[in-house]
Amino acid sequence: MNHAIAVPEFDPELIARYDTAGPRYTSYPTAPQFRADFGEAQLREAIRASNEEPIPRPLSLYVHVPFCLSPCFYCGCNRVITRDMGKADRYLERLYREIELLAPLFDRDRPVRQLHFGGGTPNFLDIARMGELMESLARHFSFGRRGEREFGIEIDPRFADGDYVRGLGALGFDRVSVGIQDFDPAVQAAVNRIQGVAETRAVIEGARAAGFASVSVDLIYGLPRQTLAGFERTLEEVLALAPDRVAVYGYAHLPQLFKAQRQIEAGELPDPATRLALFGRALEKLCGAGYVYVGMDHFARADDELARAQRAGTLQRNFQGYSTHGDCDIVGLGVSAIGRIGDSYSQNARDLAGYYAALDAGRLPVARGLLLDEDDLIRRALIGELMCHGELDTTEFGARHRLVFAEYFAAELARLRPLADDGLVALDGAAIRVTPRGRLLLRSIAMCFDAYLGDGSAPARYSRTI
Amino acid sequence: MRPRNPAGRLPEPPSPIADDGDESHFCRTCAFAGACLAVGYGKPELSALHCLVEHVGPYRAGEHIFRTGDPFRAIFAVRAGTVKTCLVDKDGREQVLGFYLPGEVIGLNAIYPDHFPCDAVALETAYFCRFSFPAMSALAARMPAVQQHLFRLLSKELGAASLLAGDHSADERMAAFLVDLGERYASRGFSGTQFQLSMSRGDIANYLRLAAETVSRVLGRFRAQGLIEIEGRALTLRDAAGLRRIGQSLLPE
Repeated sequence: MNHAIAVPEFDPELIARYDTAGPRYTSYPTAPQFRADFGEAQLREAIRASNEEPIPRPLSLYVHVPFCLSPCFYCGCNRVITRDMGKADRYLERLYREIELLAPLFDRDRPVRQLHFGGGTPNFLDIARMGELMESLARHFSFGRRGEREFGIEIDPRFADGDYVRGLGALGFDRVSVGIQDFDPAVQAAVNRIQGVAETRAVIEGARAAGFASVSVDLIYGLPRQTLAGFERTLEEVLALAPDRVAVYGYAHLPQLFKAQRQIEAGELPDPATRLALFGRALEKLCGAGYVYVGMDHFARADDELARAQRAGTLQRNFQGYSTHGDCDIVGLGVSAIGRIGDSYSQNARDLAGYYAALDAGRLPVARGLLLDEDDLIRRALIGELMCHGELDTTEFGARHRLVFAEYFAAELARLRPLADDGLVALDGAAIRVTPRGRLLLRSIAMCFDAYLGDGSAPARYSRTI
Repeated sequence: MRPRNPAGRLPEPPSPIADDGDESHFCRTCAFAGACLAVGYGKPELSALHCLVEHVGPYRAGEHIFRTGDPFRAIFAVRAGTVKTCLVDKDGREQVLGFYLPGEVIGLNAIYPDHFPCDAVALETAYFCRFSFPAMSALAARMPAVQQHLFRLLSKELGAASLLAGDHSADERMAAFLVDLGERYASRGFSGTQFQLSMSRGDIANYLRLAAETVSRVLGRFRAQGLIEIEGRALTLRDAAGLRRIGQSLLPE
C-alpha cells in the first residue's frame, strides 16, 4: 500500500493534458445515472433486504440542511438563501416526519455509527433547534455508544462562535468541517464571502476545547482574483490553525447549471496554468507541513484516522469524499439527500416543494435512485480500490468477483494503455498500480472503468479533473 | 445503453445448482438418482412407468410451491435455490420448520395426511423436479430400492427436526445450524465451507427460536473468534471443527 501514500508528482504539463470533465466517483454509478423508476417501493424493499442480512450493516446518517444566510457565488450545492427562521421550522417539521417514516423501517439493533450534517449551512439552525433535531434522531434510531460513533457537522464560521460549537459538543458532535475557501480579501469580495481568520479560529478552538476528535477545513482553488501569493498566505494561516484534515477543492465554473455562479466574472478566473499552480502550491505546502495526500481533494495528518485507514487498506469512498465507515448503509435525510442502502442508491426530491409534497402526503420523499446490477457492483469495488489504495491485484480481484480480469476488462485495459504510456499507472499483468505521477489524476484513471461514460448523457455536468 | 460485457465472466462457482440432468438423465445431486439407477431405471424408464419427473419453476423469492391444506399429489426435489417450510397461524404468525437445499426433497411430510401440512416458500429463485406421488408409490411397490430410499428420506426428515429439540444455548444452536448446512452442501458435492446464507436472518432466528438480534450477535461473535467469515450473505466456515465442538450436543456423531 506504500504507493498510495507516496507524495504525488506534480507535473503541470501532464495534468493540463488530462484536464477534462469527469465525475468525482463519490458514488458509482454516479448520480446522473439515478433513475426516476426507483421510488418509495424500491427503497422500502432495499431497506427490508438490508435488515435481513445475517449481520445487517450499521448505519451512517446524512442530514441535509439546505438554508444559507448569504449566497456564496461559487456554490454548486443545493441550498436556499433566507434569513427567515420560520422557513427552517417548516423544513424541520417535514424532516421530523421523514425521520418518523424512515427510521422504523430499519431494525433497532442497527446502530448509528456515523452522523453527518451537511448543507447549505447546518449551523443555520440554532442550538435549541439542533438539540431538538438530535433528540428526534436519537429517539427514532439507535445511536451507537460514545467511542463507537462519530458525529460530524459542516460549519460556516461567519455564523457560529465558540459557544455554539461547545453546544454542539454537548449534543454529541465530535467532528467539525469548517469552510474557509480563501482568506484573501480580494477573493472573498469576489465570491461574496467575507470571513476573518479570527472568527474561523474561534470555531476551531471552540471545537478543540469541547473535545472534538477531528477538525477539518475546506479550501477552494481556481476562484476569481486568486493569486499564488494570496493563496500561499491563506495556506500559511490554515497551517497555523493546525487542522487534522484539509480538503482542497477545485472550483468548477458551470454558470449554466448553478445560478449563483453567474455572479462571478469569468474574466477574473485564474487561467489554467495559474489554477494548476495554485493546487501545486497547496500540495507542496501541505505535504511539507507533514500532511499526507490521501487522494482526490483530501489531505490528512499522518496520524489522522483517514491516513491510518489508508495504510491499513480499509479506507472507502463516500459522499463526503473518503471515509473510515464504508461498511455502513447510508441513510439520507432531508431535501436532495442521497442514501446508499445495500446495493441501491436513492436520492430525495431536490426541490423543497417536491420534498414537502411527498411528506405532506405521507410518502417517503425519494425521487430517484438505482438498483446496482452485478456489473455496477464489480466496477464500484474496482474504482473504490483504485481511488482509496491506488493499487489493484487483478488476480485476487478476479477471483473475488469470479471473472477473468484481462478478458472482462479488455476494453478498459486498452483505454488505460495510453495512461500507462504516460506513466500514470503501472500495468504488469498481475496488478494495476497508480504511480506518483498518476495520483493527481485518479479521476482520469477511474473513468477508464466507467461503463456509463461515452453514452452522451453526462460530461457537461462534471467539473474538471484538477 | 451502456455496453454489456459478459466476456470474461467465470461460470457460477461451486455454486449450489443441481442442474446437470436432462430429459433422460438425473441430476448428479438428485435424491432419487442413486436409488433409481441402482435398480437399472433412468428417467426414460420411469416415464414409461408413468412416474413423471416434471421440471417446474422458476419460483421467485417469496412464491409458494405449495400451501397448507393443498391436496398432496407430488413431492419436489430442489434443483436450484433454497426453500423454507413453515406454519402460519390464524394471526399470521409464522413458524419456520426447515430449510431445503439443492438435491433435497420437500413434501414428504404430506404423505400421511394426504394434504400438505405446511407452506413451502422459495427464498430465492428456485427450480424443482416434481415427482407424481401416486406413480412413485406404485414404483416403490415394485422396486424395493425405491421404497428403501423413500424410507431413508423420511427418517432423515425426522432426524433433522430433532436438531432443535431441547434446551440449548444460542451459540450451540447457531453452531449446529452452520455445521449442518455445511455438511448437507458437502454431501451433495458442493463446497461445505463456502456457501451463501440465502435465508433471511428473520427466518434463521425463527427457525432456531432466537431473536433476530441474537442471530447477528452470535454470528458477530463467531466471526470475532475466527470461526467464520461473513460478508453480506457469503459465509465461510473457517473452523468447522471448532463449530462442531460448540454445537456437538445437537449434532449426530
